[in-house]
Amino acid sequence: MQTTTRVTVPIVLVVAISLFLQGHNLPGGGFIGGVLTAAAFVLIYVAYDLDYLESGVLGREIEPGTSVFEHRTVTAYRRTLLAGLVIVLGSGVAGILVGDPFLTQGYVHLEGIPVYHEVELASALLFDLGVYLVVVGSLLTIVSVVSGE
Amino acid sequence: MSLLVIAPLLVAVTTAVLTLALGRRPGIQRATSVVGVLGYVGTVSAAVWTLVLGPAAPGAAVYQVGGWPAPFGITLVLDGLSAFMLTIAAGVGIASILFSIRYVTPENQRVYYHPLFHMLLVGVTGAFLTGDLFNLFVWFEVMLIASYVFVAFYGTDRATAASFRYLVMNVFGSALMLIAVGGLYATTGTLNMADMARRLAAPDAYGIDPAPVVGLSALLLAVFALKAGLVPFQFWVPGAYTAAPTPITAMFAGVTKKVGMYAIVRLYFTVFAAAAVPVDLFGMTAASPLAFLAPVLGAMGAASIVVGGFGAVGQDRLEGVFAYSSVGQVGFIAVPVAIAAAADPAGTLRGAAVAAALVFALHHALAKGLLFLSVGAIEDATDTDRLRELGGLADRSPVLSGAVFVGLLSLMGLPPLAGFFGKLLAFDAAVRGLASDPGVAPALALVALLLGAVLTILYATRVWIVGFWGRETPAVEAASVDSGQVAVLVALAAAVVLVGVGFDPVYRFAETAATAALDGEAYVEVVGLEGGDGA
Repeated sequence: MQTTTRVTVPIVLVVAISLFLQGHNLPGGGFIGGVLTAAAFVLIYVAYDLDYLESGVLGREIEPGTSVFEHRTVTAYRRTLLAGLVIVLGSGVAGILVGDPFLTQGYVHLEGIPVYHEVELASALLFDLGVYLVVVGSLLTIVSVVSGE
Repeated sequence: MSLLVIAPLLVAVTTAVLTLALGRRPGIQRATSVVGVLGYVGTVSAAVWTLVLGPAAPGAAVYQVGGWPAPFGITLVLDGLSAFMLTIAAGVGIASILFSIRYVTPENQRVYYHPLFHMLLVGVTGAFLTGDLFNLFVWFEVMLIASYVFVAFYGTDRATAASFRYLVMNVFGSALMLIAVGGLYATTGTLNMADMARRLAAPDAYGIDPAPVVGLSALLLAVFALKAGLVPFQFWVPGAYTAAPTPITAMFAGVTKKVGMYAIVRLYFTVFAAAAVPVDLFGMTAASPLAFLAPVLGAMGAASIVVGGFGAVGQDRLEGVFAYSSVGQVGFIAVPVAIAAAADPAGTLRGAAVAAALVFALHHALAKGLLFLSVGAIEDATDTDRLRELGGLADRSPVLSGAVFVGLLSLMGLPPLAGFFGKLLAFDAAVRGLASDPGVAPALALVALLLGAVLTILYATRVWIVGFWGRETPAVEAASVDSGQVAVLVALAAAVVLVGVGFDPVYRFAETAATAALDGEAYVEVVGLEGGDGA
């Protein structure tokens, strides 16, 4: 199990990132990329244990006796979720500030100017990044809290 | 296209994120939450005044999210009906959040209470504004996911069981809704409500066969009736209502239930009414799916009135009485809607009946919000809401009891309170329905309304006599009522009186809403389907 995990987790993460990057005009996107990333983490949790990420990967000391809600990884996941929400909302509202409707920036096709095309790509990706972070943060919070019970 | 249409939604979503971010600073979090609801009330009033009611208002406005033209993108529409429902949501929302601050313990508020409250508001607002069928499904889910957590909020055995029942029911309902939405898309080739209304009005021109719409709309009716808690889908109501924190119960009864009724009115009257679908089923022949809505919804409404009324009379806890009463009162909203569906499309009865349902919805939101919040205040002060452990509250706290008294009288329908006009208009619609079509069904509807009115008087009187009159029980003697909570109750009671005394503008607003609900052509025009010319 641990051997398989060592091999598959990097592959899963790379696929997740590629799905995430191509998401705005090909199948894929922030949601499925986020789910795959979370799945990679869950694989590590199952193969090793809940504390492995913190002790084995990050090399930190585990503080015994604290509730799962105060775990540093869980706090980090919740911050990830929050950051994702802020990015999603911000990228949506940014369109209003420049006079376009809510959520516009990712969708408008500006008149084929190559430079603008680049700009458009980045803004759609920003929204997807927010979705990605929300999905990763929320799924991992749920998984680690529920399995910590 | 006006930013005001989407403004309430943005305010609520932003507040949800902010309150989530401020979880570590409870004081600022609470302040942000209240400011957020105030901002919501402000944007709703601004939108309603400048776009629907004001002298220079266009009457309706539309917002194409992301700049995609309808019917390809998601369209938000603010018309009279949406405006009326949003006003109800804003009114109940502000009372509920102010009460929450004083009622829910700070530890409980700290976790996810405020973000979830605003997400509930987001879901409700989105459902009232959206002009897209699939998007409506999404907003229902947003609203429901917040509701699940609130039902399970206290984490007791009873709350967990109620939440699980609520979850299973609604997941099943959502699956059915998704099937119906998918079926409608396959049938009509569009998800935009305005486009769907246009296509159903002239199926030949668009090359579609609208026959499945009848069955699919029936599926949707079942789902919306489940959300509204109509009989035979009422069984989740008492458990969920008693398990959730009372300020949230006020939101459930006042607002989320109305989302189900709103969806029925919006889809049937605005979208399906114009459908030229020859129907021949169960010995009934008709020209549109509306003909089926009348008997089915009428029977559901009448059954709700009876079941809710008898259920409320037999309850021994205040919260239980009002939860069952909620089931009955939704019946009072459903019956006028059914009468409207049966009425002649050209006559005035249809509009009057829909307006009656809306006025009743407003009254119910205010009065039931007031009553559920006062249950919270009583529970907070005496640690019980069992009727037999209460008594003499009228002596102990005259102000609190006065507010409850106003709520109960409005429920009974005494002039000049809001409930009087709600009942008056509902009965007026029923009598006119009977006069225009003397038959068994309209007569039964009238009998159900009468029985419901009698039962309401019965349980309201019982609550008052047992709980508020008589000798003070030990629980009541030891009670200390929170003045902040009472202030919210008094404000709500004042609103109930005000709506009744100054009823004229309220009725004109309801009439505007009813006209908007019935005028499918105007709706199509407002949405302005620039793309999709018949493809």
